Amino acid sequence: MDATTGVREEVPVRQGAGGPSLGRRVSKWWGRNGIWYLFLAPSVILLLTFMAYPLVNSLVLSLYKWNGLAPRKFVGLKNFERLVGDRFFWGATWHTLAFAFFVTLGTVGIGFLLAFAISRRVPGWRVFRVGYYLPVMLSLVVVGALWARIYEYNWGLLNTFLRAIGLDALALPWLADIRYALGAVIIVPIWQYAGFPMIIILAAIEGIPQDLHDAATIDGVNEWQRAWYLIVPLIRPVVISISMLQVISSLKVFDLVWVMTKGDPGNSSAVLGTFLYRQGFEMQKFGYASAVAVMMFAIVFTITYLYQRMVKIEAVEF
Amino acid sequence: MTNVGGDSQLATVGGRVLKIVMIVVLVAWLLVEVYPVVFLFFTSLKTDAEILKEPFSIPRRPNLVNYFYVWFGGRAGQPFVIFVRNSFMVTSGTLLLLLAVASLAGYALARGHFPGSAVVQEAFLLSLAVPAHVLLIPVFFLMQAFGLSNNLSGMILMYTTMGLPFTVLLTRAYFLSFPVELEEAALIDGCSRLGTFWRVVVPVSRNAMMSMAIVNVSWVWSELFFALVLLNRMEARTLPLAVLAYQPQMMTGDVILGPQFAVMAITVMPLVVFYFLFQRQITKGMTMGAFR
Repeated sequence: MDATTGVREEVPVRQGAGGPSLGRRVSKWWGRNGIWYLFLAPSVILLLTFMAYPLVNSLVLSLYKWNGLAPRKFVGLKNFERLVGDRFFWGATWHTLAFAFFVTLGTVGIGFLLAFAISRRVPGWRVFRVGYYLPVMLSLVVVGALWARIYEYNWGLLNTFLRAIGLDALALPWLADIRYALGAVIIVPIWQYAGFPMIIILAAIEGIPQDLHDAATIDGVNEWQRAWYLIVPLIRPVVISISMLQVISSLKVFDLVWVMTKGDPGNSSAVLGTFLYRQGFEMQKFGYASAVAVMMFAIVFTITYLYQRMVKIEAVEF
Repeated sequence: MTNVGGDSQLATVGGRVLKIVMIVVLVAWLLVEVYPVVFLFFTSLKTDAEILKEPFSIPRRPNLVNYFYVWFGGRAGQPFVIFVRNSFMVTSGTLLLLLAVASLAGYALARGHFPGSAVVQEAFLLSLAVPAHVLLIPVFFLMQAFGLSNNLSGMILMYTTMGLPFTVLLTRAYFLSFPVELEEAALIDGCSRLGTFWRVVVPVSRNAMMSMAIVNVSWVWSELFFALVLLNRMEARTLPLAVLAYQPQMMTGDVILGPQFAVMAITVMPLVVFYFLFQRQITKGMTMGAFR
């Protein structure tokens, strides 16, 4: 990330050689390239200060024991050793992976079905498209708080509904029982974000050239054959990339769990984000929490890097 | 109303049954998606007694008691307008700074052939993969050292940094597809690079800038992770923290329900209005870039 400063030193410094003086060469070089470095400077300074430096600092901090006040104490890899033996860390890891898996499956699966139905231009498709995307716009914090009220045991919408249709036995304390809390939380992003893959997949389906459809129509295919042999193979790359994107963003989950359960009851819905926050800002174990952060970084960075190798951000149309 | 694919399968008898089933499922799902949002606004207009007695119904006597309660301080002990103002300042500040900084960088990466451009480009791509979690603790202490905790400028700097990698790559991709001829004319006329950028490129790129703002506005408005650790003084807090401040405390028996719904309604109202105003641009903005 130190590219701009690093590059400046590459100016050939050949004193005494023939040709224009060093000063003039530098100024010519600067005249040609300098303006670009000035254009980049604000971004690079921000990234170095608020991303690169904290990142390195996290790596360093993970090797220390520190409560935020007293002098830090170097402990080497002790934090990581403890992490491996910490069943709450493994619990949080598994919950995060399960969360990412089911949220991706749910949003992309439902999004695909919705996109397919809407692309068939059923009556009212515009209304459906607008309505399905609406929750995507809402703040995660609000959605979490809203669903916490919907899941509420006594008067929450869900239990009121279940009791109204005579299913009293199913009216459970959704967020207060260690068996259901994580599952109940996982439902919420599926509800909120199903519209996102829908929009992306819909754009992909609508991008299939019309002559391919015409050819299929001439061949006399039915709806299922059209879906399965024409549309699915053509949009597969988009489905894969939106799935990766959903996996990456759900691995970073924090807000939702924090607002709905804070990882309770009994850490049954804790994810890496909430685990890290509690270790750091509630227990003041900043070294240990940094070790958690480093583990998360390793996981998310690897997956995102693989994703970037597959998908390129290139041409954009507006 | 043309079918994509232009087939006539849905006109057959079997097709018609399929169509009806499809519509029923779609309508049911629409209720599932939209009703909770409607419920949120309805509930914010009810008294606690009504919320408990008939959670589903339309408010019988809509009243603004919850809104008045939070507006004049309520549990947070601060007039609500402070949270609204903080959120507006942080969001607009972030968007302005982000657009300025990112479009400059994106322009340089798209147009400049200078030593190191490939490295910088790669650095932006890699920084896209850095999760906010790994920055949280160091940034907390960094902001303290800078005297920027509980400070909206600090939030703006942090959010701008978080939005930078993606926005820079998008602006770069946009400028790559931007016709060079316009700029060359200006350069030949003796306009400087910066002058060309400011007077020629920016004015014609208004739509693109708008899209960049759209892509970023929702997450900035809703950000909680950094706000939670950096803003602990009540008067510096943003709306997502206000939602938490009005969370009913079941354990301590503090179960006033209505005010939180009013806070939630105020928090999402700008986003909902924004969505219905710019619905087309938003869905388009979301589809762009990443999936080609």
